[in-house]
Amino acid sequence: MMNVLEIQHLSKQFGTHQVLRDLTFQVPEHSVYGFLGQNGAGKTTTMKIILGLLKADKGEVKVLGETVRYGFAKTNRRVGYLPDVPEFYGYMKAEQYLRLCGEITGLSAKEICSRSEELLSLVGLSEEKKKIRGYSRGMKQRLGIAQALLNEPGLLICDEPTSALDPLGRKEILDILSKVREKTTVLFSTHVLSDVERICDRAAVLKDGSLALSGSLEELKAQHRKDSLCLETGTPGGQKLLESEFQKKGYVFGVEKKNGVLIFHTSDMARLETELMICMTEHNICPLKMEVQKPTLENLFMEVIS
Amino acid sequence: MRAYWAFTKKELLESICTYKLLILGCIFLMFGFMNPFIAKITPELVKSFMPGGISIDLPAPSAADSWMQFFKNVPQMGLVVLAILFSGMMAGEIQKGTLILMVTKGLSRTAVLCSKFTVAVLLWTVSYAVCTGVTYGYTVYFWKTKDIDHLMPALLGVWLFGVLLLASDLLGSVISKSSYSSLLFTGIMVAVMFLLNIVPRIRKFNPMRLVSEPYGLITGALKTSDFSRSFLMTGVLLLILLVLSGIAFQKKQL
Repeated sequence: MMNVLEIQHLSKQFGTHQVLRDLTFQVPEHSVYGFLGQNGAGKTTTMKIILGLLKADKGEVKVLGETVRYGFAKTNRRVGYLPDVPEFYGYMKAEQYLRLCGEITGLSAKEICSRSEELLSLVGLSEEKKKIRGYSRGMKQRLGIAQALLNEPGLLICDEPTSALDPLGRKEILDILSKVREKTTVLFSTHVLSDVERICDRAAVLKDGSLALSGSLEELKAQHRKDSLCLETGTPGGQKLLESEFQKKGYVFGVEKKNGVLIFHTSDMARLETELMICMTEHNICPLKMEVQKPTLENLFMEVIS
Repeated sequence: MRAYWAFTKKELLESICTYKLLILGCIFLMFGFMNPFIAKITPELVKSFMPGGISIDLPAPSAADSWMQFFKNVPQMGLVVLAILFSGMMAGEIQKGTLILMVTKGLSRTAVLCSKFTVAVLLWTVSYAVCTGVTYGYTVYFWKTKDIDHLMPALLGVWLFGVLLLASDLLGSVISKSSYSSLLFTGIMVAVMFLLNIVPRIRKFNPMRLVSEPYGLITGALKTSDFSRSFLMTGVLLLILLVLSGIAFQKKQL
């Protein structure tokens, strides 16, 4: 599979703060790539370097095989960009704005007309006749997607596109991104991990400017598989006994207590369940509720960044 | 080139939608009417303000007086309005972030600068032409004379100085973060030129001469050749400002 985006040994420093450290990763064609990390981890900096809006101190970025040069917009003709809060010319209508974008990208008048119609219909703005200054945040975000897709980009970069939206607006944007995945490759940064689980097939977690982990969602979950078992007991003092007893076991990574519930993290769930039952029977501990928790991206994310 | 034209069209539309064209047009149209009118009524006004018993003998107003008013009003007030209106031509878009989507669509930064400057010069030229045309028409109507010595080079000098101010606004708004600091940049440049005008050896090279002494051309006290070095220096300074704007904008973080 061809890589649409290749980032090699990227470093960037702002003053004394090292934002990116030797960052290397590739985004394969036709994937929706979730780009995760805490605030200040370097996600937006990476995206701005890919777009030639920021100069890297070291490293190389290639978009569709072409090297990105700071200040030059050549590679951007094959890229679509949707920022977290896109800013438009408020005195224009959506159609006018897309026409301007199309002319800048170099599309023919016929192409601009047909693409604009198609995209405005895709994002649900084809009937909208008011000027952009009257748009809601969600509508602006949808127009942002339309402009980003106008030139049929090989790579669509979305920088936290759902962060400023209400649940309905978020759903609309994710639905649109899911629809376009067949035609383009999407690099999608977000804080909302459920969004990544919903639409991404690959993900990378950025921590302190370098890649903490990356791969397909299945791979990531499998590699970092740590099932958990939640246990509520009705016997006073029982939880303390179980905690001290099971912390010693080799197949248990840890035992924690949250809101009166004991959580066991283990690599061998079957053995844990059996030995727990035996232990509770021996010590007359009455279980109220036992629940096995499957690994989620959120758990994985918390584990990686902590 | 197509991207440049597209962005230039957008700039023109913006100047209409944000009333920039209307404001500039109205102000310069007003100046156009004012110049011959003030020249015509000045003697009457002076007489009416004289205390009783004192009489003053003023020469009858002429077409040259009308143009003198033109070269007083346009450089003093018109150019200030021009500098203020265009002070935020880059800073506004950089601050709002509207340029990011344009640049990420493949629009080159040079095309952005060229479009902005083209439309600014175009609006200035149209407004200046309207003002000149109205002054000319009314001057001919009032004084029935078309012939004013060296009018064209005097008019060209003021126009060129206006273009220089726009280039200064452009550089100022690329390197600064707000339209106020851009205006300050242009203000400082003009103040330096004013100060340099005191030195006789520098004066003949100073672009300021194009707006401070055009009467000399009309009255015949100065010849067109006396202004050639100022014209040349203005052209050179204009080019330097534009090149510096290009370099600064290429390095500007959007």
